[in-house]
Amino acid sequence: MSAVPGDTAHGPGRLIVAVYGVLALAATARSGVQIIRDLDQAPTAYLLSGVAAVVYLVATLALARGGVRWRPVAWAAIGTELVGVLSVGALSLTAPQLFADATVWSGFGQGYGYIPLVLSVVGLWWLARTRPREGVPDR
Amino acid sequence: MWTPLALAVVGLSLALAAWAGWRAVRDRPVILRQLLAGAVVEALIVVEVVVAAVLTANGSPPADVVTFWGYLVTALVVLPFAAAWAFAERTRWSSVVLVVAALTSGFLQYRLLQVFAG
Repeated sequence: MSAVPGDTAHGPGRLIVAVYGVLALAATARSGVQIIRDLDQAPTAYLLSGVAAVVYLVATLALARGGVRWRPVAWAAIGTELVGVLSVGALSLTAPQLFADATVWSGFGQGYGYIPLVLSVVGLWWLARTRPREGVPDR
Repeated sequence: MWTPLALAVVGLSLALAAWAGWRAVRDRPVILRQLLAGAVVEALIVVEVVVAAVLTANGSPPADVVTFWGYLVTALVVLPFAAAWAFAERTRWSSVVLVVAALTSGFLQYRLLQVFAG
């Protein structure tokens, strides 16, 4: 299906990269404004959103590049997202006093239509599906 | 001035999303006519940029200036990205990407309407 082993950017991958790009853009823009303008109001929440935004940018880039060199980066970034959205999601419900304002990952990504949760699962599934088969020469 | 302009972009974006969705379902890639429709939407967004700049220059800027321009610049780049991909990916997935881009464009206009009024 893919021309290059481990390719993640073509076919259905275009859609996944596109949605990652939109989420990365939205999270970066919003947390950027929050960090520059209102950091003292909710430092933990806004810095966490900033970290999440950077992870989404890395994931978008890694998926768009694909191939054997970028796939480990994509695994790490998307794995971080899943851990982040699950742990921060759970914490935001059980210990809401930790966060003075909502983060990208609060309520399992509620503020972003649960896309952060769904997308990390879809991203990991896509990486597993496009895994290069053994014996196929690397790029 | 702002509201009818934004509503026009919302309507055209949703129509483009539906058109691209129909082609995606039928396993067809994006075609040139869809890109021309996208160019019409893009032209309206450029008009929005001019209108917003003129309103700001005349002393009646949008309520939340930073957020407003953030959304407007995002709206400006979303459709060209989908168009670039339509050239590179000649499968149904270019249509699916156009659906996402057009829906994003419509959603951004909805947020712009909210942010403009404050």
